[in-house]
Amino acid sequence: MDVYKKFLAENILTEEKVITYRLLSRALHVHPNTAKQMLYDFHKSQNDKRPGAVHATYLVYGIKASGDLSSAPQNGADGDVEMTSSMPEVDSLDNTVPTFILTLIQEQHLKDALSEYEEVSSIHVYSVGPHPAKDLSLLADVANEALRLGPDGSKNPAAIGNSRVRRRERPGAGAKNVAVAVTAARGPAPATKVVQEEPKAAAAASLFKTTTTSKVKEEEPAAKPPPGSSKVASSAPEKKAPPALKRGGSGSSGGIMQAFSKAAATKAKKAEIWQPAIPSGDDSSIQPMSDDGEDDSEMIPQPKAAGPSSTTRKNREARAEELRRMMEEDDEEEDEEEKEESRPDSPVDEEPMEVEPAEEPAAVPEKAEKVEVTGDGRRRGKRKVVRKKQIMDDQGYLVTIQEDAWESFSEDDKPAPPPSFKQKTTGSASSTQSTAASSKSKKAAGPKGSQGSIRSFFSKN
Amino acid sequence: MVTLDDIANAGLLQKPSDNAPEALERSQSNYKPLHSFALPKDRQYQQQFADIYFLRLTKIKPAVEKVASIAWEGTVIGGERAKKVERVLDVRQGELCWVTGTVYIDMALKPNILEDVSKDRWISAPPSIDHYFSEEGHDAVMLEDDSGRIRLIGDTLKDFFMVTGCIVAVMGTENANGEFQVLDLKFADLPPQPERWELSKPPKPVKSKAKVKDGDVEMTDSPATAQGGKKMAIVSGLEFSGTDTSYTVELNLLLEYLLGEALDPMAQQNELAHISRLIIAGNSIAAEQKTHVEMDTGKGGKPGVHKKYGYDSSSYNPIPSQLLDEFLSELLPSMPVTLLPGALDPANASYPQQPIHAAMFPKSRAYTPLPGAAEHGWLDAVTNPWEGEVDGWRVLGTGGQNLDDVFKYVNSDDRLGMMEAMCRWRCSAPTAPDTLWAYPFQEDEPFVMKECPHMYFVGCQPEFGTKIIQGPDGQMVRLIAVPSFADTREIVLVDSETLDVSRVKITTGTGTSE
Repeated sequence: MDVYKKFLAENILTEEKVITYRLLSRALHVHPNTAKQMLYDFHKSQNDKRPGAVHATYLVYGIKASGDLSSAPQNGADGDVEMTSSMPEVDSLDNTVPTFILTLIQEQHLKDALSEYEEVSSIHVYSVGPHPAKDLSLLADVANEALRLGPDGSKNPAAIGNSRVRRRERPGAGAKNVAVAVTAARGPAPATKVVQEEPKAAAAASLFKTTTTSKVKEEEPAAKPPPGSSKVASSAPEKKAPPALKRGGSGSSGGIMQAFSKAAATKAKKAEIWQPAIPSGDDSSIQPMSDDGEDDSEMIPQPKAAGPSSTTRKNREARAEELRRMMEEDDEEEDEEEKEESRPDSPVDEEPMEVEPAEEPAAVPEKAEKVEVTGDGRRRGKRKVVRKKQIMDDQGYLVTIQEDAWESFSEDDKPAPPPSFKQKTTGSASSTQSTAASSKSKKAAGPKGSQGSIRSFFSKN
Repeated sequence: MVTLDDIANAGLLQKPSDNAPEALERSQSNYKPLHSFALPKDRQYQQQFADIYFLRLTKIKPAVEKVASIAWEGTVIGGERAKKVERVLDVRQGELCWVTGTVYIDMALKPNILEDVSKDRWISAPPSIDHYFSEEGHDAVMLEDDSGRIRLIGDTLKDFFMVTGCIVAVMGTENANGEFQVLDLKFADLPPQPERWELSKPPKPVKSKAKVKDGDVEMTDSPATAQGGKKMAIVSGLEFSGTDTSYTVELNLLLEYLLGEALDPMAQQNELAHISRLIIAGNSIAAEQKTHVEMDTGKGGKPGVHKKYGYDSSSYNPIPSQLLDEFLSELLPSMPVTLLPGALDPANASYPQQPIHAAMFPKSRAYTPLPGAAEHGWLDAVTNPWEGEVDGWRVLGTGGQNLDDVFKYVNSDDRLGMMEAMCRWRCSAPTAPDTLWAYPFQEDEPFVMKECPHMYFVGCQPEFGTKIIQGPDGQMVRLIAVPSFADTREIVLVDSETLDVSRVKITTGTGTSE
């Protein structure tokens, strides 16, 4: 019974803390109303022993004497109405609105505060502290502490219950597992890229191999649905085959045809960039985005950029479907996933909204009038465009004039790839191969095209 | 006057007793949201806005003409009989007639899109002007329909609230200057009002049980303040802030009050347990003035101003939304919440604002419905404006932008009068899309009030106000201007049976009298 006295004595007298009834209630697991009485009792007994030993604040609830607060704004507002508008006459039925005042007051002001009340329906001790509370806003900190003390955060036995409360059902083993599965599925994304480099950088191949395989294996046990993850693991190498092949072909041709067909190069670049994105489960992550209905129209081409192989594609679709189902269960994973996606390996920093990582590398120089490549590899140039100019003439009409203008551009402001590049992608795979075009395509694409991957590449080592 | 002696040893001011306090059960909220203002997910913004005006005129014109023909049919002024004219263009000089159309008010300070375009001014934030009207009286009131427009003059106009976009019928004559001398003016007045419990069923068994319970429990001294009926609480402008902590204590007290932890058992049982629902009418998150400006210019595509192009994550302060989330997650186990977005909230800026996305509430999200679920959630993030049926009453509520914008047109402080005018115009956002940003609707004009609400509340207002207005067919509408909690520390309680309004003001000691 006297546990509370000990608790209060320790906290208030020894540690000089302010204790509110909420904090006491949560710390000792008693009902708040009991806690209020405990505080009162403690306050009384201490001050009986030694006046001024502890100081309380009170919470007063009731109706104040009319005249000051309750009616002034009310009448002002109502009085105006009838004067200004001569709409169908309105009798406002009520002129006074009962106003309940909830006041948190220090004990030294309690008397004054009470005298303003016409009727007090409830009063209790709110907090007890070792000193007279000067700044009541300090109580906010105590309140925060009380929140933290709350039994497992959300359950609050003290509050008025509500039997009809409905929470969202979370099917399956819960959010955590799904999240793990998702990140696991995502894990191979950088891995695939590394493997892709393999044939090219033959010297380092063995090293990479070990890292990738170990990576995949690492993720495997963590993944929740074993079929899903195994599919990921298996589909990743499968998926790799076509681009790797292509690379092999082009790599063998050496650097002779470097100046060869820029278009092919860019296309190949596109293919490369999009290809690895697919086995990483990007499309499945994008799908739930459309739940939000915002801004993901540019993303849509992505799933269309399917690889040539139909079996892997089937695999992928099945897996994507599965992922999508998981995704739709909770959008928390969506967020996490997006972070994962935007930087597969770098530590997660505070940019929660970076959604389109694949967009930037995918941007490709378009046909332009004059293009020059500056020393740092950036493309700059000028192109002719038709500008619309709107001016207001002297009569107040808007006139639109079209005029030609030169516009300079650099790589930064190139538009996203057109959605129709599905054919291009598949076409380019064959064309690159048949013409055995240019290691340049690959070399240019490697560092420039997939910035994410190069970063992950280095962090791996 | 209450003195210390009166309250000594009352209620909780005594030693703890052994009998455990019994658990209270909150009254249930009977609730059915309507999705009148939900926009399609794949919104297009290519359309013109003209359709909104056309649709509004088409929808409201018959009602206005009915009112007008009852009032003016057979009116003879100066030996001339008033005739109805179908279109604005058909008005003939010198003939006494009446015609219906949309009001357009040209105001000196009103933002003008043509001016913006011609000066190559592209801003992303709506300009913040206190008012659009000019004191010198240069404002021109026009009446227009799809045929043409005519300028309205006359002292009669001063007797009415007029804003761009409301539909009126005017009677008068065109003078030699081509201006229409208005003699009288009519609105559509309140639309037909649905019966109570039109969409949901009254919970009869629950009601009786609650009564039994009331009777059982220690009703020795019946408190005068106890009003048995259920209540809904409306609050707006909570403005959880990352920097301003001046009203954190009040927010905590509000939470304790709503949860039913504060006060003594009597008050808890008689009052707090009867608050069945909390409606948050906008502005739950405080404006971070500086960062807002930064983000706007950043998004506006002026890379020259900032080094970082696009969104700058370092300017993001997650604390306000975290605080809101904590507040909600504490409250939700005890009470269902309807959450309207407001001007400051993370929702789209244009009317109708769409629900705040559940991703904003990592903790409270468990109470939101699953995506695609038919049933509304325990935490119901809704649109602004929002329409629904709460305890049988049809409720229309907004986050306040519609009223704030109307306020800028009118040289008056009578916000309740403007709310009334909106009801009588049958349009909850008449100034959209002219000065209130709005989605370019093509098929429907949702701001037209098809049915008269029983209760119409507008959030984020400078001060509390309420009144009841009546319509010609016996409609009764309870208007409530909900004050911003951050400014006034007030919340509004509405009785679910009588729609009587009371308010609760939360003060902390030194702030009030000393």
